[in-house]
Amino acid sequence: MRSRSAEGTARGQRLFVVSLIAVLLGFLVVLQLRSQALVARSLANQDNTSIALLINDLNHANGQLLQQSLALDQRQRALRQGLVTGGTDTQAIEKELTVLRAVAGLLPVHGPGLEIRIEGPVMDFEIQDALNNLRNAGAEAAALNGYRIVDGTPIISHGTALQVAGHPVSSPYVLSVIGDPEQLESAADISASSLQTRVQVTITRRSDLAITEVVQPRPLLYSQLGS
Amino acid sequence: MPLVVSVCLATFLVSALAAAQFRSQPLPPSNRVARNEALRTSVNDLEAENRHLRDQVGSLQAAIRQLEDQSAQRSSAAQRLTDMVASQRLAVGLVPLHGPGLTISLHDGRNPNDPSDRSLGWIVHYQDLQDIVNLLWAAGAEAITINQQRVVPTTSFFYAGVNILINNANRLSSPYLITALGDPPSLIAGLNDPNQLTELKSRSRNYDLGLGWRRGSRLTAPAYDATFVLKNAQPIS
Repeated sequence: MRSRSAEGTARGQRLFVVSLIAVLLGFLVVLQLRSQALVARSLANQDNTSIALLINDLNHANGQLLQQSLALDQRQRALRQGLVTGGTDTQAIEKELTVLRAVAGLLPVHGPGLEIRIEGPVMDFEIQDALNNLRNAGAEAAALNGYRIVDGTPIISHGTALQVAGHPVSSPYVLSVIGDPEQLESAADISASSLQTRVQVTITRRSDLAITEVVQPRPLLYSQLGS
Repeated sequence: MPLVVSVCLATFLVSALAAAQFRSQPLPPSNRVARNEALRTSVNDLEAENRHLRDQVGSLQAAIRQLEDQSAQRSSAAQRLTDMVASQRLAVGLVPLHGPGLTISLHDGRNPNDPSDRSLGWIVHYQDLQDIVNLLWAAGAEAITINQQRVVPTTSFFYAGVNILINNANRLSSPYLITALGDPPSLIAGLNDPNQLTELKSRSRNYDLGLGWRRGSRLTAPAYDATFVLKNAQPIS
C-alpha cells in the first residue's frame, strides 16, 4: 500500500514538473512570436517616417501646382478677354515670355535672396549639391562669380579651381541666389554645415539682389520637336 | 501516459493564451495597423490630387497655346511674341523632343548583408542621379529625362525618407533610366572619362548596380508636366 502511495506521489511530482516546463515553454514560444511581430512593426514604423515626409512634400508640391494652375487660369482669362473684345492681349503673352526668359537665364533679374561667400577650395559636386538644395528651396535665379547658372550649366573642378561653362573661377566663390530668403537660408545652412569644416562660408540675406549675367541660348543640333 | 500528455497539452495552451493576453494589454496592434493604413491612404489621396493638378496644368497650357495662336492670327505683334514664347518653351523643357542620344540604366544593387559594411553603397542615392545629370550636361546633352521626368531649370533631387523625389514630388524608384538627347559619341566619351563618376562606377562593380548605357537613334524626351511661376525674381528693365 505504502509503495503504491509513494509511486503515486512520485508520479504527481513528475506531472507537476512536466506541467511547469510546459507552462514556461508555452509562455516563451508566444513571447518569441510576439517579439518577431514587434520587430516587423518597428520596421513598418521606420517606413512610416518616410511616408510622413512624403506626405509633407506632396502637400507642398500640390500647393505649388495649385499656384501654377491659378496663374495659368489668369493668363487664359486675359487672353480670352482680349479675343472677345476684338483685339489681342499682347501683355499676357509678354508676361509669359518674361517668365520663360527669366527661368532660362536669358534675362537679368533682381529680387530678395542670399549671397553665399565661400573662401577656400571646393569641389564641383559641393557647388552642385548646394545649388540642388537651393533649387529645392525655391531658388529662382543663381549666379556664381559673375556667371549665370541654369540647369544645363556645367560646373567642373579644374585643379583647385572651378570652371563654370568653361570659364575659370576661383576662391572666393560668391553664389548669388534669388528666392524666398528664409527658405533659401535653411537650404544654404545645410550646405554650409558640411563645407565649414574646411572653408569659410558667409551667408548674407539681401532684400534686393541683382543678377545681371545671362546665358547664351543653346541651339538644338541633334534634337527635334515632337515625341 | 496519455493523461500526462493531455495535461501537458492543456497546460501549454492555457499558458500560451495567458502569455498572449499579457502581451496584448500594453501594445494594441490594431491602432498601429490603422495608423499605417491611414498614412498610406493619405499618400494615395495626395498623389491622386497631384496627378489631377498636373492634368489641370496641362489642359490650361494647351488652352493657352490655342488662344495665343488665335491672337497671333489677328496681330503681327502677337504673332511675333507667340513665336518667341514657342522658342522659349523649347528652351525650358515645356516641349517634347526626340533625337539620337543615350539611355543610361542603373538600379539598386545587392545588399551584402555584411554588418561591417554600413556604406549603403548598394542603394542608388539621389546624388548619383544628380552627378550623372551634371556630367551629361557637361558632355553636351540637349535634353535629359529620368524615368520619363524631364529635367528643367527648377528640377532638384531630394529625399523624402527613402523616396527620391523630383519635379513636384514625383517619386523615382529603381530601376532608373536616364535618357539624354545629344551627340552619342560625345555623351559616351563623358561617361567613359575615368575621372568622372569614379565612386559610382566602383560601387556599381562592387554591389552590382548595373550602371550601363546604350545608344539610341530615336529617343524621346517628354515635356515637363507642369510650368514655372516666379514669386521673387523680377526682370531688370
